[in-house]
Amino acid sequence: MQVHLAAGLTGSGLNLPAVPPHVTNGNLYPAQRSARPPTRFYRQLAKFLSCIKMRPSRPLLHLPKRTAAMAETSGTSLAPQKTRSARAEFWAGVRDETPLMFGVIPFGLVFGVLGVESGLSALQTILLSSILFGGASQVVFAQLWAAGVPAFIVGGSVCVINMRHLLYSASMAIYLRPLPLRWRILLGYLLTDEAFAISIRRFQHQPPGPFQHFHLLGSGLLLWTGWQISTIFGVVVGETIPESWSLSFAIPLTFIAVVAPILKSRSDLAAAVTAGSLAMIGQPLPWNSWLLLAAIGGILAGWLVHHFNQPAVDPA
Amino acid sequence: MIWLVMIAAGLFTFATRFIMLSNIISNRPPPWLADALGFVPIAVLTAIIVPAVLIDPASQTIALGDNPRLFAAILAIVTALVTRQVITTIGVGLAALWLLQWLM
Repeated sequence: MQVHLAAGLTGSGLNLPAVPPHVTNGNLYPAQRSARPPTRFYRQLAKFLSCIKMRPSRPLLHLPKRTAAMAETSGTSLAPQKTRSARAEFWAGVRDETPLMFGVIPFGLVFGVLGVESGLSALQTILLSSILFGGASQVVFAQLWAAGVPAFIVGGSVCVINMRHLLYSASMAIYLRPLPLRWRILLGYLLTDEAFAISIRRFQHQPPGPFQHFHLLGSGLLLWTGWQISTIFGVVVGETIPESWSLSFAIPLTFIAVVAPILKSRSDLAAAVTAGSLAMIGQPLPWNSWLLLAAIGGILAGWLVHHFNQPAVDPA
Repeated sequence: MIWLVMIAAGLFTFATRFIMLSNIISNRPPPWLADALGFVPIAVLTAIIVPAVLIDPASQTIALGDNPRLFAAILAIVTALVTRQVITTIGVGLAALWLLQWLM
């Protein structure tokens, strides 16, 4: 574990040696291993490292044995194959998340416009984006609250919509559990649909690294920042946008863009058709409770079809 | 009052994101619950989409034949299936709505 820890630290790019490697006779980072006293942070890191599964045959950092001759002939420092540093993971997360921002920023704008339009104050609209930090649930909150629906229906609807995050945190648990509490609180707060979708790919499909959680930090922070800024922008410009632009129609359009491509199986279709029908049938119900009814009905329909319709033979 | 509901809903939402990372619950959700939660986005979002498309905001009645929103939404669904891009779908849908409103 000692070796792995040292590898992780040098991999972070914090303290690359000023001494050319060939001076140290092939022993690349001799000073650093002893120079840093193990602080609490590094002990946590070591604990974290010992928890993630690593293939024992392949150390995290393979330091090639170099000779002075090699260094002279190549002329350049032979970069060891190293683990990705915290900074590299963070920026990889930011980079991977960027394409999704083309959907997130318009949505944030529309929410900002809609929040104020539906009667929330500017401050409430803006803070909703950081308190709830979930697009669909914020839209529902604003619309239901504006319609004068009782608080428990508003709260219940938001809760049902956001229950899905349980799935995300459950999938992330094996990668994030070993982290200190404050990390888990921060990353839990940032765990949205989009950040999850991007960072779980890195956790599952790329080799584990001591700083892999920085990937989620990067994707989550980019998303958070974009969401807050676009909400504020929407609140500010919202007042100048005339009603005739029907900009509120961008909300169902955004959701169409999300839902249409993920309707793949019969159970997905059952969930969608049931939810859509119940939403229409339930319109006369008091307190806009059609949304809650349609959501629960749709989930139930999808689950039932999925449960009783599992094909015995793979259709492919 | 609104602040209270906002903060309560926010705390609940945070709890759903954090609870499995905490040491309070050590098990994954049972398979039946995981399956059910998988349908939440489809059910919730469709339930928001359908009334927003079919109900005329001015008269609050169901509109089918002379409903520019319905045609714009159908066009948006096709766009979403073909391009899989959120911004293109919003753009095509809004442009179609504006055009139809101007024509009808």
